[in-house]
Amino acid sequence: MKKELGCFVVGDSTKCTGCRACELACFTVHNRESNHVGKTVGTVSVPVAPRLFLTKFEEGCMPIQCKHCEDAPCLNACTKGAISRIDHQVIVDAEKCIGCKDCMQACPFGAIALLPYAKDGKLVAQPMGEETKVFASKCDLCAGIEGGPACVRVCPHQALRLVDPEAEREEKNIKAAEALLLTKNWR
Amino acid sequence: MGIPEIEDAGCLLCFGYNGADSHPIVARRIVRGRQKGMKIICADPRVTETARISDIHLQLKGGSNLALVNAMANVIWKEGLADTKFIEEHTKGFEEFLKVIEKYTPEYAEPITHIPAETIRKAARMYATTKPAMILYGMGVCQFTQAVDVVKGLANLALMTGNFGGPAMGIGPVRGQNNVQGACDMGALPNSYPGYQNVTDPEARAKFEKAWGVSLPSEIGCPITHVPHRILHEKDEKKRIHAYYIFGEDPAQSDPDLAEVREALDKCDFVVMQDIYMNKTGLYADVILPAAAWGENEGIYTCADRGFQRVRKLIEPEGDVKPDWQIIAEISTAMGYPMNYKNTEEIWNEMIDLCPSFKGATYEKIEKYGCVQWPCRDKSMEDKGTPYLHKDGIFGTKDHKALFYGTDWHPPVELENDQYPMTLSTVREVGHYSVRTMTGNCRTLRNLEDEPGWVQMNTGDCERMGLKKGELVKILSKRGYCITRCLPTDRVEPGATYMTYQWWIGACNELTTAKLDPISNTPEYKYCACRVEKIEDQEWAERHVMELYDDIRAQMGIDTGKGAEA
Amino acid sequence: MNYFVKGNPDLCIGCRTCMIGCVVAHEGKRIFEVDPDSYDFNPRLHVVRTVRLSVPVQCKHCENPACMAVCPVGAISQKDHCVIIDQDKCMGCKSCMDACPFGAINMTERKGHIQADGTLKKTANKCDLCYGLPGGPACVRVCPTEALTLITEEDLETAMERKRAETARNTFKENHPQE
Repeated sequence: MKKELGCFVVGDSTKCTGCRACELACFTVHNRESNHVGKTVGTVSVPVAPRLFLTKFEEGCMPIQCKHCEDAPCLNACTKGAISRIDHQVIVDAEKCIGCKDCMQACPFGAIALLPYAKDGKLVAQPMGEETKVFASKCDLCAGIEGGPACVRVCPHQALRLVDPEAEREEKNIKAAEALLLTKNWR
Repeated sequence: MGIPEIEDAGCLLCFGYNGADSHPIVARRIVRGRQKGMKIICADPRVTETARISDIHLQLKGGSNLALVNAMANVIWKEGLADTKFIEEHTKGFEEFLKVIEKYTPEYAEPITHIPAETIRKAARMYATTKPAMILYGMGVCQFTQAVDVVKGLANLALMTGNFGGPAMGIGPVRGQNNVQGACDMGALPNSYPGYQNVTDPEARAKFEKAWGVSLPSEIGCPITHVPHRILHEKDEKKRIHAYYIFGEDPAQSDPDLAEVREALDKCDFVVMQDIYMNKTGLYADVILPAAAWGENEGIYTCADRGFQRVRKLIEPEGDVKPDWQIIAEISTAMGYPMNYKNTEEIWNEMIDLCPSFKGATYEKIEKYGCVQWPCRDKSMEDKGTPYLHKDGIFGTKDHKALFYGTDWHPPVELENDQYPMTLSTVREVGHYSVRTMTGNCRTLRNLEDEPGWVQMNTGDCERMGLKKGELVKILSKRGYCITRCLPTDRVEPGATYMTYQWWIGACNELTTAKLDPISNTPEYKYCACRVEKIEDQEWAERHVMELYDDIRAQMGIDTGKGAEA
Repeated sequence: MNYFVKGNPDLCIGCRTCMIGCVVAHEGKRIFEVDPDSYDFNPRLHVVRTVRLSVPVQCKHCENPACMAVCPVGAISQKDHCVIIDQDKCMGCKSCMDACPFGAINMTERKGHIQADGTLKKTANKCDLCYGLPGGPACVRVCPTEALTLITEEDLETAMERKRAETARNTFKENHPQE
């Protein structure tokens, strides 16, 4: 049977050291083809635009990224139809995005940022102006990239985890059922 | 013995019977018995719910029933656990029986049954020493070519331990369908009139001829499992079947080797189908007679414990449907034999007056006591029926003695081979009853499980074949194939597969063999050789299944616009 | 204290009547009248079957609910001894699903609720102890083997008191052996 829910990556603040390897890896794998990033030293000619966001807070730090919601507020808020669900994942079409910021406001996680849009190693200008085109940058779970989410792969502290929610739920169900054996004589 | 007594047994030997899936209400008694401290021995190749809560699970290899039963008898005798007083006073044929079971030591049975000899010993000891001990058996015994022999084998166990004729003991067949006991009681068998009076008995025949004012045939009729052969291959023109009137049955779904059944229904000159909903057999019918459902009918059902119970009408049938008895009466009248019954009680009264063992079971009495177990011979309210058929070890034979009957085990007919290396057994699932004619039309049950059903396979086998849960697979036998979903589970042993028989698409009876037990004429649903094949293009398979489903629904005139998604 | 329903694996026969009872309770009688494809079939408990185990698993109604703590939109709250999800507020982020250690929350489609891309919304679904429905939790009522029990604060407290007293008595016996 087919996968029914979108997967997502979660960070673990107890393991994260704030090294930003996840952000760099994210930027690299998403710009390899379109912006020739990572072929040799010094190939980064465009601003670093990651799709997850290392976030520092009072007690520590952790990366924050999209949960690929099943009733996705960003998708519902996008008037332009630039956000769609492909193979259960919520994906932004950077070309279509007009930078209206509705999705940013709709997302309760802060998982979206407006970042400069680059192509072929150069920033892309807006069609009728001088300003750089921006797009709603958010996790696409490394769709089409071999090996799955790069952030999970590169984290030196295994502080990121790819979640297949339904599969994990079933596993947790079994553990919960086993616990019922231990508590059956509760009276 | 009755169903409510199950929970009072000291020991329950549950043989080839999966109560949780077949009869949850009986399973409830087993669970309660367990709570009261009842010991449970469960003989089943799968880890059923009963096996799960049992003291000893005899996880036998499919098709080895009699080897296990004989080995248990062997242990009981060799270890001096038999009730010799009961054997002497109430039975005969024990010496001959001992000769048969002599060689069935647990060590002899171990390689056949795949159960360690010591486990067989433990089970035999537990059964023989815990009183009272009850045996329940189900289709895991009856649906083999060696079926009747195993039933007798189980009866031998009860006889040699004196477990007959009292509360919470004996041997209980928990039948496949509700009221299948009633159907047999009413003579819906090829060899008997109502009340188990043989059609070959001239005295009985004369009685029925006189009562009905017709002449009746003196030879035994045709069992349902012989019908395809009698339509397709019967050389004697006089014996060939040309018309087939089917009611409350769906042979195009429930009978083995469906390809043959379809050919037979196709070639049969005239097929009448009488049922409450459309089913597979209906697709071959020349005439369909819509019948009222259980809640729209009056009548009597017989429970597995021989208890007659009233069934009452809840609602009036709507539209052009009629209760079965009315349809039969009208057909009979149209064919020149007028039947003018006003209600089911009139039919019942005619019947009981012709059947000595049912004679006392009047509507009034059944109404008053809720349930009357036959034999009930006297109409006075004092005769409340017979809870224990063999009370005090008095049996129904001429000399009132029970007969031991030993036979040798033989393997099932179609064994695993190079081409078909796995085995298939048909089973039940709790949500869908029988062929699903009723429950398939119950929306929530359909939500819980729908086409194309599942094949239960051992997790290791699935891993070896690269099969995941829910993946569509093709399953084949010498006779045909079907597509269904793979359900990996360690509740089944390696090399075996299990499928429920109610799915139109995942129809396991495409695969089953029509080989029969020589006495009961029941097919060997529980054993045939099969092969499971992976389907590489799952998207195609999903589409294909959906098309098949839509197609069948369209043929049946069901709302096809919505597709199969529930 | 929050109440909760728990299953007993010794009594469960894996029949899933509880799941149907749950759906019928939450959908109401209309389930028998409307088009079979138009209602939500979303049981709020899950029958788990392993080799040696059959038992339904559902929300424990934790006192410090992890699901409630992670919900970004405040869709999960506690009231009347019960942890409840407001499906209208829920936007299906699955954070609660990830946070629940029992696997008691799943995401289910809501018929008639459509997202901007035309697909059905999926929102968090879990046991609400049949909140607001007469007769208490349907699963408890429909189970043929009485394998499910609603446990209240009083039930649990009585059991704990009994156990404490038992422990005390046993200790006393140990210290004051009778001849």
